[in-house]
Amino acid sequence: MGAINIQNLTKSYADTQVLKGINLDINNGEFLILVGPSGCGKSTLMNCIAGLEEITSGDLFIGDDNVTELSPAERDIAMVFQSYALYPTMSVARNISFGLEMRKYPKHEIEATVQEVAKLLQIEHLLNRKPSQLSGGQRQRVAMGRALARSPRVFLFDEPLSNLDAKLRVEMRTEIKKLHKRLGTTIVYVTHDQVEAMTLADRIAVMKDGVVQQFSSPYEIYNDPANRFVADFMGSPSMNFVDCVVFNDKLVIESAGQRDELPIPNSEALQASGLENVILGLRPEMITEPKPYKESTYITHMQLAVQVTEPTGPDTLAFGEWNQQEIQARLSPEIGVQAENHSTIDIQVDTSKAVLFHPKSGERI
Amino acid sequence: MTQSKQLMGRAFIYSLLLGFAIIYLAPLYVMLVTSFKDIEEIRTGNILALPNTLNFSAWSKAWSTACTGGDCHGLAPYFWNSIRIVVPSLVISTLIGALNGYVLAQWQFKGSNFLFGALLLGCFIPFQVILLPMAKLLAWVGLANTVPGLVSVHVIYGVAFTTLFFRNYYVAIPNELVRAARLDGAGFFAIFWHVFLPMSTPIFVVTVIWQFTQIWNDFLFGVVYSGPGTQPITVALNNLVNTSVGGKQYNVDMAAAIIAALPTLVVYLLAGKYFVRGLTAGAVKG
Repeated sequence: MGAINIQNLTKSYADTQVLKGINLDINNGEFLILVGPSGCGKSTLMNCIAGLEEITSGDLFIGDDNVTELSPAERDIAMVFQSYALYPTMSVARNISFGLEMRKYPKHEIEATVQEVAKLLQIEHLLNRKPSQLSGGQRQRVAMGRALARSPRVFLFDEPLSNLDAKLRVEMRTEIKKLHKRLGTTIVYVTHDQVEAMTLADRIAVMKDGVVQQFSSPYEIYNDPANRFVADFMGSPSMNFVDCVVFNDKLVIESAGQRDELPIPNSEALQASGLENVILGLRPEMITEPKPYKESTYITHMQLAVQVTEPTGPDTLAFGEWNQQEIQARLSPEIGVQAENHSTIDIQVDTSKAVLFHPKSGERI
Repeated sequence: MTQSKQLMGRAFIYSLLLGFAIIYLAPLYVMLVTSFKDIEEIRTGNILALPNTLNFSAWSKAWSTACTGGDCHGLAPYFWNSIRIVVPSLVISTLIGALNGYVLAQWQFKGSNFLFGALLLGCFIPFQVILLPMAKLLAWVGLANTVPGLVSVHVIYGVAFTTLFFRNYYVAIPNELVRAARLDGAGFFAIFWHVFLPMSTPIFVVTVIWQFTQIWNDFLFGVVYSGPGTQPITVALNNLVNTSVGGKQYNVDMAAAIIAALPTLVVYLLAGKYFVRGLTAGAVKG
């Protein structure tokens, strides 16, 4: 039905190659997120899937059909745009029905569909209004309604929440997830917001410079990143990266004037690489105040000279230095209060989920 | 103290405005009052004085019996000539401009910016430059001295302006609308018709006023490319004023001039509100 298969897709404008051989296999009913910094090619890839941009080479299948050469209208897809792109002179009802009208659906069927969609999105009372009379959130709903009306094989969302304020964004995010659960239609969703990516996706494709860096589940992307870029991009606050010297399969850390050695998992790979220097990647939540119940072989106790703290509410981020490089620790708010004023505090470092990167290429070891 | 100062300032501004309004409207006033006087009253009376009686004879003469060169049927036949020239020129050039603007703003293709630049150049070509080549061309295609010939000249000359208007209006509209409509299954013309035309009222009003005024008031093309039976009203007005059968008939001249100017005045009064609004619409929308 709505499975998407992208094979070796490239896209070039004049001399610049924007997409450099994309291969993605998206299952029917899957929620795929394309994420990456601006200019990474994620929107271009989505436009290629939609048929709004021509593909330079490669093939694109939706279901069993090769749609590479088909026009956007023939691909049986619907898209929600960042600016909503509602037709300003048409009522909400006509905005929703326009696609059906263009496809020459019978009138009573169109009316029934509009009612159904409006009910689903709770916009029945808005049907006679013009888009200019709607709030941002309502416009968002209408844009989704327009996409839903045709019950297409695939939905494309192009940064749909980026124009909403923070609170509404979280609300709509949940709503989109619910909608996906309910309809079970394949969704491809572009965003630069990694929180959105983590919360919504079945699978995430992290892109950079027109190349897919990693394509896997949110859990794997977060805990098992393919390279330093992915590790850095996903997660907020982002992962700590520290240049370390390898000593006896352990990593040497200098902190608060003391020397500590951190054990690392999968030291065989490190041995095999023969590297003497590596980049340690460790998420802030792995550097905390001592938690006695968490003792294990990968727990190290050490000290941290706190320079600045940033309370976020549920926890407090503390900035210190390891090997003269800035790191962030995630403390409980109570410890965070004590850690203010340039104090040195006891911390516990959990390296069970530490990841190592090649100091030059940034690839995982 | 401050209040009286403010009041004085107000009074100064308003008297200044009033003064300029009077200066601007004085010629129209003179034309109007003169058109209602008879020759005797004009010769003996004050130019600014109101007419003794409302005398419409100059108006009816200007409309139906005044001599313009050889024949003496007044301006009426030429008024209809002008209508026959203006309406098709206006409709065709506006529609082509709308379509051009839609393509140049929303369906960019290789070289579309160059094409737009080339079209813009058309706005700056003086009438006189194209007089001879255009006359040759019209003769060559057999449209010399005909209404269709004059219409095509106005259309060609007008398209540069109408395209500019519509292109600048449509370029402010996000391209995502076109993309959304394409996904909805609408084609090139369906998108133009259902999405773009309904939101184009302000720019249509601007273009119509502009083109109507330009074409109605045109004298040069009218005098060069028209034949004896197809002259527009501006040419006829010139002939009427220059035809002297026993002394200048100022009252008839004035009435004729007002008749010739009336349509543009009416169009502006009816749609003028949109004119200013339309000219600034693009700027405000961003």
